[in-house]
Amino acid sequence: MIPLAHFMLVSAILFCIGLYAVLAKKNAIMILIGIEFMLNAAILNFVAFSKHDKIALGGQVFALFAIVLAAATVAVTLAIILNVYKYYRTIDPTKIDQLRD
Amino acid sequence: METLTQGNLSLLAALTALLPLITFLGITLIPGKQGRGAYFSIFNISVSLLLSAFLFFKIWNRNIVHEQLSWFTIGGTEFTAGILLNNLSVLMLVLVSLISLLVHIYSTMYMLGDPYLHRYWAYLGLFCFAMLGLVIIDNLLIVYMFWELVGFSSYLLIGFWFTKEAATQASKKAFIVNRLGDLGFLTGIMIVFSTFRTLDINLLFGEEGLVAQTVGSGIAPGAWLTIAGLAFFLAATAKSAQFPLHTWLPDAMEGPTSVSSLIHAATMVAAGVFLLARIYPIFDPTVLVVIASIGAFTAFMAATIALTQNDIKRILAFSTISQLGFMMIAMGVGAYGAGIFHLVTHAFFKCLLFLAAGAVIHEMAHFRAKTEADFDHQDIRNMGGLRKAMPLTFITMILASLALSGIPFTSGFLSKDAILIQSFEWADSQGGWVKLIPYSALLTSLLTAFYIFRLIFKTFFGEFRLKGQFSDKVIIHEAPAAMKYVMVVLAVFCLFLGFSFHPLSYEGSWILQGLPQQAIKHASVFDYHTFIPVIVNVLAILMIALAYKWYVKSKQAPDLSSNPVFLFLNRQWFFDDIYQRLFVNGTTKLASRAFLFDKKVVDGLVNLIANIGIVLSKISDWLDRYVVDGLIHAVASMAKTIGNFARNFQTGRLQHYLLTMVLVVLCFFIIKLFFPAI
Repeated sequence: MIPLAHFMLVSAILFCIGLYAVLAKKNAIMILIGIEFMLNAAILNFVAFSKHDKIALGGQVFALFAIVLAAATVAVTLAIILNVYKYYRTIDPTKIDQLRD
Repeated sequence: METLTQGNLSLLAALTALLPLITFLGITLIPGKQGRGAYFSIFNISVSLLLSAFLFFKIWNRNIVHEQLSWFTIGGTEFTAGILLNNLSVLMLVLVSLISLLVHIYSTMYMLGDPYLHRYWAYLGLFCFAMLGLVIIDNLLIVYMFWELVGFSSYLLIGFWFTKEAATQASKKAFIVNRLGDLGFLTGIMIVFSTFRTLDINLLFGEEGLVAQTVGSGIAPGAWLTIAGLAFFLAATAKSAQFPLHTWLPDAMEGPTSVSSLIHAATMVAAGVFLLARIYPIFDPTVLVVIASIGAFTAFMAATIALTQNDIKRILAFSTISQLGFMMIAMGVGAYGAGIFHLVTHAFFKCLLFLAAGAVIHEMAHFRAKTEADFDHQDIRNMGGLRKAMPLTFITMILASLALSGIPFTSGFLSKDAILIQSFEWADSQGGWVKLIPYSALLTSLLTAFYIFRLIFKTFFGEFRLKGQFSDKVIIHEAPAAMKYVMVVLAVFCLFLGFSFHPLSYEGSWILQGLPQQAIKHASVFDYHTFIPVIVNVLAILMIALAYKWYVKSKQAPDLSSNPVFLFLNRQWFFDDIYQRLFVNGTTKLASRAFLFDKKVVDGLVNLIANIGIVLSKISDWLDRYVVDGLIHAVASMAKTIGNFARNFQTGRLQHYLLTMVLVVLCFFIIKLFFPAI
């Protein structure tokens, strides 16, 4: 039986990797991947916690729901990235700084 | 002629006075040629003369005509204006219009060729209007207005040749000196009005007038009446050129000679004497003594000055001052009728003297223009021997001079004797130092004989003094006809016949019989009526003989020019210098002081206040700039700094925002973790 703390640790590591990717990568696709990392860290937490809810399995249901949501998010995000590329001719987020003014 | 009511007669009198005004308005308002207006003005003044002659025969020694209209009302006091015709008025009316007409005719030739002749006619019209209005009006206030108008039109005429510096100066001097007198007139009017609440001359100074009642009853405002009398007399001294306001008259000789003649004979100077006669009851014995002494002093002073002058017109001017002094003596000694009588006779012979002198000057000016020489054409030292060239002028002028000297069979004899005899009689009744007055008058009349015959002998006898200098191709001849005949007419009036049928007794004169006589007659030790004329004439003839001896016989009069007395007289008793130093310089000095005061003190104060204002505003500017603005700027710059700081977060990069967000969440997390109490 793997203790819960290990799941949490792996999840935290995944989350940190994802966060790093989101904050540091110079490519929108890589940021999207970072987001997926963080999402999956959360899903992992759901699944791990659902061990303590054997009757309702609410965690697993939430996990499934989140996976579906993630798929939709990715589709939308990719569409946004495509449009951004069309508009700016780049997907480097450091160059898209028009929010500044 | 019964259809002519009082009202109609007043209307005629008003018309008489208004005709010259029509001349003035017609010439000034209707444009036309430069020299226009001669016939128009002569026509108007002739009609005036006819009307005044008619009025004279209707009114002289008959009823007084007095017509009034309501003028305006202030509060409960009603002011009336109207026309008052009595013997005095109609006499003056005829005198003024007759002399004016003669001067008008004379001027047609004398002023011929003057480029501004139309202005001359217009001014003459205004002058005659002012004088005629003055003699007929019954309200003191309107008399004052006409009085001012006389002064103003004389100013215009004296300064007629306004391109001459001396003429403009003289006109200004005449105007300013006359203003001093006007001050007296105004004071008098105010005193009279505040005492009697009316300005109606007939009501005030009539037979049973308010003044007569007051003086008779001896009640209250006696002192005020004395002051009013002195004030009115001051007015008369200015207009009639009496000491101390006589200095304008000699200077007024800068005007055209015909104007001088008019001023001296009928209009300007007569106004003063006329005023005294018109308001005669107001003068109490104190004022009368003042009038007589001023008159005597002026007469003597002017006669002595006339002895030493060389300008032909100036001699005549001082002679006028002197003769006006005689009229003042007459007024002062109560010989009211004699004063007016002398005014009338003097008007004719002085007018003639001036016109004859004008003829001489006219010819001398022509002579100068032809020879293109440079000499003073009014200086009697440059004349001489003119009796052959201008016999008519010579004869008429001799007649006028005899009248001026008071030789029997002339008009001047009658009026001058009237004054002298009555002044002696008056002095007898008074006693004291006033006894000097008739004696000084006697002395003056001798000086008169001397100076006028000095003028005659120097001008008409001997040889023409400039003959040697110029070739005798230019001959001086008689003046033009218009001037000659006027002089002849005037010469007739210099004879006794115009005034009295008895050549040696003034008492038969119709003028004196028409005017109020001296009330008090005194039986005296001497029979003045035979004594005075004999003395005067014997001495006058002696003086004439002396003049003849000096100026004709010996060719060379004793040279007195280094004598201090001569200098004193020649410089006109230094009155001009004294006035210059005392009043003119004083006034200019005062003015410059006032200017300095204005500049230094008043302006200084203003500037000081301005400077204080500037300093204050500088301080407030500094406060504004550094304190108020500084505060606002500090707030602004703080906001700016904060803004700049906050701006740094707004990089526009998505990842920075995220990082910030993460850090904030982390901060909250850490705070919550370590300080759970918050």
